[in-house]
Amino acid sequence: MKPVLTVTRLSKSFGGLSALKEITLAAHPGQIVGIIGPNGAGKTTLFNCLAGLYSPTRGQIRFQDRAVVPEFSEARAHHIRRCAVLFMALGLVWLPLFWSFFLPAAFFKVELVLLGIFILAMRFSLMRGLMRFQMWAWGLMVLFLLSDLFFAVWWLIRLSPSVHLTGTHIPLRCLAWPWAIGAGVFSIYLMIQLFTRQVRQIYGFRQSPDAICQMGMARTFQNIRLFFNLSVLDNVKIGCHARMKAGVWGALFKTRAQREEEAGVEREAMECLRFVGLEKRAFNLAGALAYGEQRRLEIARAMASRPKVLLLDEPAAGMNPRESSQLIRLILDIREKGITVLIIEHDMRVMMSLADYIYALDYGRLIAEGIPDEIRNNAQVIEAYLGGGPSHAPT
Amino acid sequence: MMDLKKMQKNPRFFFLGLVFLALLLPWLPMGGSTNYVIRVLTTAVLYMVLALGLNIVPGFTGLLDLGYVGFYGIGAYTSGLLAIHYNMGLWLILPLAALNGALWGILLGAPTLRLTGDYFAIVTFGFSELVVLVIRNELWLTRGPMGLPGIPPPTLFGHPLTRDWEFFYLILFILLIVLAVVTRLQDSRVGRAWFAIREDEIAAQCCGVNLIRYKVTAFAISASIGAMAGAFYAKWFKFIHPDMFKFWESILILCLIVFGGMGSIAGTMLGALILIPLSEVLRAVLPQSLFSARYLIYGLVLVLMMRWRPEGLIPFERAQARKAWQAKERLGS
Repeated sequence: MKPVLTVTRLSKSFGGLSALKEITLAAHPGQIVGIIGPNGAGKTTLFNCLAGLYSPTRGQIRFQDRAVVPEFSEARAHHIRRCAVLFMALGLVWLPLFWSFFLPAAFFKVELVLLGIFILAMRFSLMRGLMRFQMWAWGLMVLFLLSDLFFAVWWLIRLSPSVHLTGTHIPLRCLAWPWAIGAGVFSIYLMIQLFTRQVRQIYGFRQSPDAICQMGMARTFQNIRLFFNLSVLDNVKIGCHARMKAGVWGALFKTRAQREEEAGVEREAMECLRFVGLEKRAFNLAGALAYGEQRRLEIARAMASRPKVLLLDEPAAGMNPRESSQLIRLILDIREKGITVLIIEHDMRVMMSLADYIYALDYGRLIAEGIPDEIRNNAQVIEAYLGGGPSHAPT
Repeated sequence: MMDLKKMQKNPRFFFLGLVFLALLLPWLPMGGSTNYVIRVLTTAVLYMVLALGLNIVPGFTGLLDLGYVGFYGIGAYTSGLLAIHYNMGLWLILPLAALNGALWGILLGAPTLRLTGDYFAIVTFGFSELVVLVIRNELWLTRGPMGLPGIPPPTLFGHPLTRDWEFFYLILFILLIVLAVVTRLQDSRVGRAWFAIREDEIAAQCCGVNLIRYKVTAFAISASIGAMAGAFYAKWFKFIHPDMFKFWESILILCLIVFGGMGSIAGTMLGALILIPLSEVLRAVLPQSLFSARYLIYGLVLVLMMRWRPEGLIPFERAQARKAWQAKERLGS
């Protein structure tokens, strides 16, 4: 069967610290995939990358054969970096053009110099943004290139032959022609490069968490993140948000479609609450629930968006044995509905009784994978949890 | 006792009673002070509208907005200029002013709503100052510091509204419209998305709420309500001046919300209804020499409030709990 979620050589680093290194994993439909590892192993970072809260440094995430993060080859990335540097260089070429535009006023007017420095700084930050594959940088870069082109042409039209370089007898036109043509060709070249299909693909991605939720991936959080001052029912209704349509007009005029949708959502939210066994608390505030109930409410909220993949981040944390065995039953019920579950858990009893397949992480690296029995006896996993000899220092 | 319970069960009943009471107000025997009382009440209701509008941004969506009065000013000048130059009626001006406010709300919000917390508050503060500066300096448009006098009164079926009770009824009507807008939005998908953003941005995002879109929506609707209130104000006062839309006004409206309870509709209205006439009560109570110190008393009220009841008169969670209770009644479980 085709996997519903694949992660290929995913890396994420914060500054110098690499939290994930070349993680590769796959989840098949209807499977419960466990992810284990000691504290700081990068499990939650992995979930944050999957849910779109972090953009990974490198690697691929494919969800139902759609890319969640931009995919590109190393050569393409290198090419883009080169384009970014060229863009900066073009800025340096363009700056004297800009100054001389105000000739024959003083060549070095303080405001002009400051403005030039400011523009250079902007171009520099754009270059950095482009190198990090950020969408805003791509858009602004195109605008900058257009203005470069425009100024080059305008400058040529405007410059009269009597204008000389300050303090010399060299007419500026001699310098102007090669200069402006060079800058123009340069910016046209860069623009073509930026609009090629591969580059557009890299920058044209929306990878915001709400888009990913809409694709069908829902998650819960390690430290409970409910809407505490809203009622339990409203919490679950917000979970339905991604598949509702009503907007401001619908709400203002209470159109028929909006009323029907509202009623339907109310029904479904109650169903979700019944599923996790919270229907009696539906009209309480979420903040008033007990800890275990809040955990279950988070699951209900995630289920309300009818996900294909559910990411559970330590759902059994802080639960007593009775509650956690209830939770095990709940997660098995979720699987019955055909939802793939990715689960991070420290409670080995829960993990071993639930997971079909387990990945073990340590220091951001995948150290083992396999069915629960294999993991239980894996020497590296035991070492990671209990500590090995001094030879096991992180590198 | 029975009646009270019935009223609580049926808030619509209670609400209609309040509206009826308000409509009755101008006709109560108050001797020579009727007009004065009605004018104070009109101001109070005007601030209720303003507070309801502002409430959408800091109350529902959880973003501190210090520039609300900018939209108030934009609405007032839109209304005044349209009335003077094009002789438009109020019923055309109100939606146009609202649209103009929404336009500026979107223009300001779309690029700046990516900022978080205090940075956003500073940008909105700057915006309101900018509006005042533009109004003050663009003499050809707004006559600057000379103000804009001679705004014609609104007409209803050809009959010009001049008396105080007529304006009181008019602002009451606007309040009802705004109230309907705000309550309907609050109970819809849009309102829930705002509440989610207020409570937890990251969780809201992971539930599929597009942060920027909903923040800009909140900002635009808030701005259009503010502009509508401004449009009424210009028509009522018949003279507007840039100094009427200074930063202090924003803080005052924010105080009303904080006092009444951020995010709860009943609370914000109650806040305005208490604090705005309070200034007039103080005028009567305080000796002449102390009258200009009345804002000190405002400050004192707020400080005491923060000490004893920091969530306001009607806290957000109480309003939500009440809503949940109503839903329970509705679903009958």
